[in-house]
Amino acid sequence: MNFITPAAEELALYRADPLLWDQEIDVRPEVAEAIEQAAGRRSGRVYWRSRHDHLYALELADLGRGRPSMAMVLGFWDRWEPRPPEHEIDADLMDFCLWVARQAPGMDPADVARVAQFADIKTTWPPGAALRTPEERFSNLPDFPYEPRYVEIEGLRMAYVEAGSGDPLLMLHGEPTWGYLYRRMIPPLAGAGRVIVPDLIGFGRSDKPALANAYTYKSHVRWVRGFIEGLNLERITLVAQDWGGLLGLRVLSQVPERFARVVAMNTGLPEGSGATDAFLKWRRFSQRVEALDVPQLMRATLKRRTLGEAEAAAYQAPFPSREYQTAALVFPRLVPIRPDHPGAYDNRVAIERLKTLDVPVLLPWGAEDAITAPAERHLRSIFRNAAPPLWIAGAGHFLQEDAGEEVAGHILRWMESTWTSTSHPKNSNSATICAPG
Amino acid sequence: MSPVPRWLEPLFPYRQHAVTVNGRTMAFVDEGPRSGRPVLLLSGNPTWGFLYRDFIGPLTAAGYRAIAPDWVGCGYSDHPRVDAALTFAHHIADLVSLLDQLELRGFVIVGQDWGGPQGVGAALQRVERLSALVLMNTWLFTGLVSRFHASARPWTTWHAPLVGPFFMRRHQVLSQHGPSATSRRGMTQTEARGYHHVFEEPDSDHVVLTWPRTIPMREGDRGWADMRVIERRLPELSAVPTLLLWAPEDEVFPIEFGNRLKELLPHAEGPIPFDRARHFLQDERGPDLARATVEFLNRAAGAGR
Repeated sequence: MNFITPAAEELALYRADPLLWDQEIDVRPEVAEAIEQAAGRRSGRVYWRSRHDHLYALELADLGRGRPSMAMVLGFWDRWEPRPPEHEIDADLMDFCLWVARQAPGMDPADVARVAQFADIKTTWPPGAALRTPEERFSNLPDFPYEPRYVEIEGLRMAYVEAGSGDPLLMLHGEPTWGYLYRRMIPPLAGAGRVIVPDLIGFGRSDKPALANAYTYKSHVRWVRGFIEGLNLERITLVAQDWGGLLGLRVLSQVPERFARVVAMNTGLPEGSGATDAFLKWRRFSQRVEALDVPQLMRATLKRRTLGEAEAAAYQAPFPSREYQTAALVFPRLVPIRPDHPGAYDNRVAIERLKTLDVPVLLPWGAEDAITAPAERHLRSIFRNAAPPLWIAGAGHFLQEDAGEEVAGHILRWMESTWTSTSHPKNSNSATICAPG
Repeated sequence: MSPVPRWLEPLFPYRQHAVTVNGRTMAFVDEGPRSGRPVLLLSGNPTWGFLYRDFIGPLTAAGYRAIAPDWVGCGYSDHPRVDAALTFAHHIADLVSLLDQLELRGFVIVGQDWGGPQGVGAALQRVERLSALVLMNTWLFTGLVSRFHASARPWTTWHAPLVGPFFMRRHQVLSQHGPSATSRRGMTQTEARGYHHVFEEPDSDHVVLTWPRTIPMREGDRGWADMRVIERRLPELSAVPTLLLWAPEDEVFPIEFGNRLKELLPHAEGPIPFDRARHFLQDERGPDLARATVEFLNRAAGAGR
């Protein structure tokens, strides 16, 4: 376990939740002493980040017996929000218990694992715990003939389609769409590389946990990173719009060594300093509505094109009923609009890292989009290697629909003019900036 | 979920439901039509849904869905034995989890005592779904401390370090005597027992100690940061219809607190005074307060959604 020192600013955002409390860890003095040695202290607190990116602490107290006697394990959750699904906490506490067993003489991690198995402790989503949209909902999709493929992440099935070969182009959709949004860009870009279009967890053909607390900014980031690591993608050209960018840019800040280029479109990396009126209006609408009528929403938002019936229906295909829409209904309130909003601090940290990267960035921006218009300048101020502004006249928020082929053409021309990450010395140096853990 | 005991049924004939919030069981009464506007009836220290027994009938008769949850540590909810599991933020996150799991939209918060800041704190996390607010003898701000809360006897001595566990836990001065000793009209023995019996199990009343200790009196106090956030965010409620109902004879939250709330929420109606009542005004003037609440909600939000 790597102990860390979290910033006071970060700690103030959380509530400390006592998860394990043992008032007599010196019942076995050798265990207490081994923990003291590993933690480097007899009393006080050590922190670590779990495989789920949650912050935990071990609090030790010496009751005057010359070794730690009392111990509490604390989980740190977004201060006023429900805590994560219990299996995430169980998985993290299992890792902690295995750590204890590794430190302590006379304890065997294998025993801990065996008892956990006996007790049937779930450390991923149990099979069937998440909703899965029936595949027949996806028959007859116009212009989307790709066979779905799947990567398993934390027990969830994350779907993607792919076309072409070579270095990957990872296309990330956002709210409330799915990979289908990119269908007009896949054929042209498939000539330039291996186009990979996943559906975010809770969208498209991917699994859809029904609990609202499954979906946080942090969990979506983790799932996207898990997808990239699951397919072991390298030299990635990221193409992202809306939440695809909020997530993709965070992942870029965590594993920059996997990325060669970034195309960010009508998206952002909000630091919690307010929002556009258009976004607040959308947020209010989305939080009060019983269910989202996605076709109607898409039609109202598109500026250049009108969707045919079958195209419009394809946007509703992932959501047979409102139970399937939890992720889509939650997304708007996850966008950090206040400084203490969950995710705002993480984005501020990410931005500081992104400012050190030389990764080439293209920002094609649908000009008719009141929600994300100010974010173009914000992103331009973060990336020092950004191409000149590229406003797509007459296109709106979903420029993949409004101007898919046109944007793909811009991307192709720009790709030819940019370095690849392997040949770019500065960019490969940046890999050392953020080793995970 | 254990049902209310037989002896209490004549006074509280409602079924207890439960969900798991943040790893703890949260009990709640859920009466009235599912399609009705949800009205969350939030009590404080050291009471539970029983305090709102006179509200449930009138609300449901008017078409509202009355939901009376017991805070974790109280009533029929879990009673954690670890004080650190009972912070201000925990209570807020617990209610947010309930709002999420019941998928409540267009809900109303009715809060007294800790039901005020914890209810509003949770509502601010789902503020677009809040449609009205009814506050009674509570507070949402720092900077005003009642004489009762500042007094050494009994209040600050009751929950002082190390002394608090002797009075509050070993001798249960609040959990076994609070509501009945404060009652102005005088309670029957069964009514008093209705409040007290939920803390009869030994070591089950940590919350009556952690709550007083959370009252923010000075900067740096345990509840200070959360209360400041709530106070700062009150402008987000400027379009939410709000009603203030007050028992001026309450020494815990005297009328100055109602007036201060009115300054912070100038669009609010009231504070409308209710005499013949002290801190637990829902117990003493229940039917009258319920009538005022229903009348206000019919006007401000309506029973349909």
